Order: sequence, then C-alpha cells, then structure tokens
Amino acid sequence: MEPQLSWYLALSAVLFTIGVTGVIIKRNVIAMFMCIELMLNAVNLTFVAFSSFFNDVTGQLFVFIVMTVAAAEAAVGLGIIIAIFRNRETLDVDEASILKL
Amino acid sequence: MLALLFLLFAGMAIGCALAVVAQRNPLYSAISLIGVFISLACLYVTLAAPFIAAVQVIVYAGAIMVLVVFVIMLLNVEEEAHQRQRLKFLLPVAIGLAGILIAEVAFILVTVQGTPATSGGLTHLDETNVGLTQSIGSALFTQYLLPFEITSILLLMAIVGAMTLARRGMLSPNARVVPGAQVLPLSMVDPTVGHEDTRAIETDSTDEAARLLGVAELRDQSKRE
Amino acid sequence: MDSQTALDILLKLVAITVAFTVVLLIVAYTVLAERRILGFIQGRLGPNRVGPGGLLQPFADLLKFILKEDIVPDKSTRFVYFLAPVIATMAALMTMIVYPFGPEFQVPFTNIVIPLTIARFDVSLLYVLGITSVGVYGIMLAGWSSNNKYSLMGGLRASAQMISYELALGLSLIGVILLAGTLDLAQIVEMQSGWHGARWFIFFHPLGFIIYMIAAIAETNRVPFDLPEAETELVAGFHTEYSAMKFALFFLAEYINMFTVSMLATTLFLGGWNVPFAEDIFGRGTFLFGLVSALGFLLKIIFFLFLYIWLRGTLPRFRFDQLMNFGWRILLPFALLSIFITATLIFLFPNL
Repeated sequence: MEPQLSWYLALSAVLFTIGVTGVIIKRNVIAMFMCIELMLNAVNLTFVAFSSFFNDVTGQLFVFIVMTVAAAEAAVGLGIIIAIFRNRETLDVDEASILKL
Repeated sequence: MLALLFLLFAGMAIGCALAVVAQRNPLYSAISLIGVFISLACLYVTLAAPFIAAVQVIVYAGAIMVLVVFVIMLLNVEEEAHQRQRLKFLLPVAIGLAGILIAEVAFILVTVQGTPATSGGLTHLDETNVGLTQSIGSALFTQYLLPFEITSILLLMAIVGAMTLARRGMLSPNARVVPGAQVLPLSMVDPTVGHEDTRAIETDSTDEAARLLGVAELRDQSKRE
Repeated sequence: MDSQTALDILLKLVAITVAFTVVLLIVAYTVLAERRILGFIQGRLGPNRVGPGGLLQPFADLLKFILKEDIVPDKSTRFVYFLAPVIATMAALMTMIVYPFGPEFQVPFTNIVIPLTIARFDVSLLYVLGITSVGVYGIMLAGWSSNNKYSLMGGLRASAQMISYELALGLSLIGVILLAGTLDLAQIVEMQSGWHGARWFIFFHPLGFIIYMIAAIAETNRVPFDLPEAETELVAGFHTEYSAMKFALFFLAEYINMFTVSMLATTLFLGGWNVPFAEDIFGRGTFLFGLVSALGFLLKIIFFLFLYIWLRGTLPRFRFDQLMNFGWRILLPFALLSIFITATLIFLFPNL
C-alpha cells in the first residue's frame, strides 16, 4: 500500500506535538530552542507533503523561505542566549523569571 | 516498498524526536535533533523533493546544528538538574495537553474527506517534476521574487544582529578592577582600535585604570565596615 | 518487491562493494606514497623495507592498528566518543556513490550496458556538499568527548576552519553550476566532452578552480591549513585521545576526504573521464573507450593527490588567526568575484 497524504500529515502532527511538549517541559534554554526547531521542521514536512500531492511548487518554495528564516532566527537566538549566559551565569529559564539580573 | 521506507524513516524521526525531549544532556539532544533532520531529509526524498532534502541537510544539519553544538561546547552546559520546586505538575500537564492536540489532529484526519488528488498514493510522482531544482529555481526567480529579496534582507539583518550581540567590547556591570597598577590593552580602552592592535596603556594607579575602563569606582575591601 | 527491483538492488550492492574496495586500496597506497614522496622531498628515503620497495607497508600498518591496545579515557562520554570516528568515516565514504567513474560501456560479446555511476540523481552536487557539512560533526564531537582541553581546542578550531572554508567551496562551485546548467555530476562531465579537452571547465572558470583548490585543502585539514592536528601544535589536536582502530578510522577518513575532493575537482574542472583523443581512437560506447576513460579519471585524481603531497612537503602552516582572516576576508570576496566574472562571460558569449 502506498503512503497516503494523511500518513505524512499525521507524522507531522506527532512531531509538532513532541516539539510543543519539549518547549513546555525543558528548563535549559538551548534545549527549548531545539524543540522550536523541531516544530518548524514538522511544519516543513506538511508543506512538502502538500506540495507533492497537489503538484504545486509553492509548498517547496515556502519551505525554502522557512529554512532561511529559521537559520536567521538561530543565529540571533543563540547570540541572545550567549548574552544571557554572560550576565546570569546560568542557562536555566526558571532562574531567569524576573527581569532583574 | 515505499510504505516500508516511510515507516522506517517515520519511526526514526519520532524516536529521535522523543530522545530530544527526554534527554537531559543538551549535547545528546542536539545529536538526536540531527537524527531527526536527516530522517526528515530522507522523507523528503520519498516525496520526490530531492532539492529540499539536500538543502535541509546542508542548512539544518550542516549549519544550524553546528552552531548549536558550538554554543553548547563553548558554554560548557551541564545536564539538567532534577529538582523542580515550583511546577511539580508540569510534566503531567504537558503530556495531557499533547494528548488533546493529537486527539484533535486524529479527529480531523479521520473525518475530513479527501479529494481524488490526495487520496491517491505516491505513484503519480513518477511523472511530476515539481521537486526538481529547475522548477523551484524558475518559480523562485519569476513569481516569488519579492519574498526572495526580502529574505536576503532578513539574512543581512540577522548577520548584523548576531555580530552586535557577540561583541566583546562591553564589560559586564559586575566588573571590578583588581587593586594595583594596571597595564591595559589599547583595544579595551579605545573601542575604535581593532583587536589585532597589540599596543598597551600603562596606568599608574587603580583609580586611573577604573576611570579609563569606565568601570564603577572600586570599593576597597579593607574600607568596608 | 519484484525480481527486477531485487536484481537492481543486488547490482548496486556489488557496485558499492567494488567501489569501496578500490577506494580503500587507493587510499592505503596514498598513505604510503605520501611517506615516500615526503621522504624524497626532504632528502631521505621513505619506508621501503616491507615487501618489494615498501609496497606491502599499508598492510603492515593495518595489522599494527588492529593489534594495538584500545585506550578509552576514563571520564569521557562513551557514546559520543565511539560515535565520532564513525561519523567521520561514514561522511567520507558516502560521497563516493555519485561520481561518474567512466562512461557507459558495453561488455564485449554481450548486450549489457553498464553505467559507471552508482547513483545518478538530480542534485548530486548538493548531496556532496551536504555530506561534507555533516562530516564536520565527527571532528567536533571527537574533540569534545575526549575530555581533554587540548582536544577540545583542536576540535573547535578544526570545525571553525572547516565551516568557514565550506562557504568559499560552495561559492566557487556556483560558477561551474552556471556553466553546466545542472547539478547532476554525470551530466556535468558529459558537457565537458568534445573539442578534445578544450571544453574543460578549468579554462572557463580558472579563478574558481584556484579558490576551490585552496578551500578543499582547508576542508580536509591538510598543510598549510593543518593547525588543528599538527603534532607540534596541540599534541595532535582532536584525535589525541584516540588509539588503535579508532585513530585508524580518523586517519582513513582524512585521506578518503582528500581523495573525494580530488575526485570532485577532476569531475568539475578537469572533465572527469574525458581523455582528449580517446573518442576518435576507440569510439563511444566500446569497452576499450570505457577502460581508457576510467584510467584517465584515475590519473587525474592521482595528479591532484600528488599536488597535495607536494604542498605538504613544501609549505609552512598558517597560524589560526591568519587562517580565519584568509578564509573570510580574502577567499570569500574572491569567490564572489569569480561568480561575477563567470556570469558575465556566460552572458556575453552564450556559445556553450
């Protein structure tokens, strides 16, 4: 039996849910960031699946743009993380719950 | 055959994703995330999108995760400690909410009727050329030129932002000057001088060094009451 | 799964085994050749005792590596420590499948046509770049998991160098993609045939070739860019704590990487398996043409390997800040300039 579109969408939903769970559970800010990337990739999978099944190149183009935006976000996000680490000496988001250093 | 490949790569993706969430050491989370990216690239190949698969490996697994692993190594991040004072119920709540989300998605997938295009399998992909580089390239440069240009400006903004955040010219507000006469590198005092310039400034006293660095006045330990 | 698919898979497995064996043999003898040629450059003989003229030296080395004691540092993270050489070797070997070793040829007295590319698909060049990017992880994880500050420094420096020069590598290849109009390596080689060698892309994109060679030397951590693993610098860098078979895997991965970038240079710039006058003498599609083309491919690769060994014996090594300065501030702008020049040439003379 051939893989159906619904299989790909189900896989993407499961990956997205795992990403959301990770963002809620994790206390290390780099691990949270990685779960956000997992969510972005799940959405990428949805786009590519739809683009293949509907024969439209727009989906894959959008994935291209999403990847670029994710790369930009990774660079700036990790810069912010390093700046937070320099000032607070810890990467625990529960410790960083108030704005005062 | 294709279904077997899909199950294999989907299993790998879900396994590695669970490992990302469940691992306490962030380096192992990063390695599992690389596994997720590579299995997703293989899934893109089964969807006849080879260009996106290759770009996924180059950009995500080869560049973004290298950056993340670099940061983990440089900051020397330890494992997550196990105490959780305030939010003991966080894990059950998270799993409950995840269960609700999956139930919603399952409901949609079961009840929504598919059109003939989506109900078929992947056999029609033998004749398409949607995933080839040529079609993506021609669409990118003709119909979607504006998003392309805006994305390049976005990348420029990201470069400038990352460089500004990583500049080491600023001292943290907790910095204090050690007692004694100081010899300071010129790049610490004068921000217009680059880091390769190895000239130095000799100061005669701690107060002069503190004044040159712009650091708050030193509180001498012996004068504290 | 019908029998045709099963037969295809079996043929591919046989082809992969043959290709890997040939590559590993060539790489083993490259190690020996390096030691001999370095010896001649430095005014001494290399190893020449084992076997006639030293030709069995690689097997002696292999025996030594297998029989050595396997030391594992005490407080290293075990999983990552064992994973790192595996990643390095896998990434080095996986690029082998997309190169066209020769044209399609017909086995004599039969009707079987054998293509000499193991896997031919649309985005081979991007696949090679992607696998090279993943190969950085082997070195980074090796440096980290050894629990040794010299290894960590060596690993971080090596990976920073590799990701910096990957950019210049990719940009210099864009000129070739512009000239060929395709990312498929087999098709790039086909486009360089005809005109008896005057259509090789090195003549149309020479600046890109020079930039590619420099970036490739930096990618494979060879002299003059081998600061992260030099013996006098950081106690052998990221593979300090590896012994016996795991060190052999890193060593092998470095030489296979050298082989791979030489193969890529040959395929993209020197016309792959195109030998200048072979078409007229033998005719396309015959067995002798295929053989001569494959041998020509091999000779071009050996020329590049000799160039690498020659550079190792001749040049001093860069300091790390000089290296990064060179990669970002000199090589990257020149790579961009090469794209402009080639694009202008294509625009003005669309005769290809």
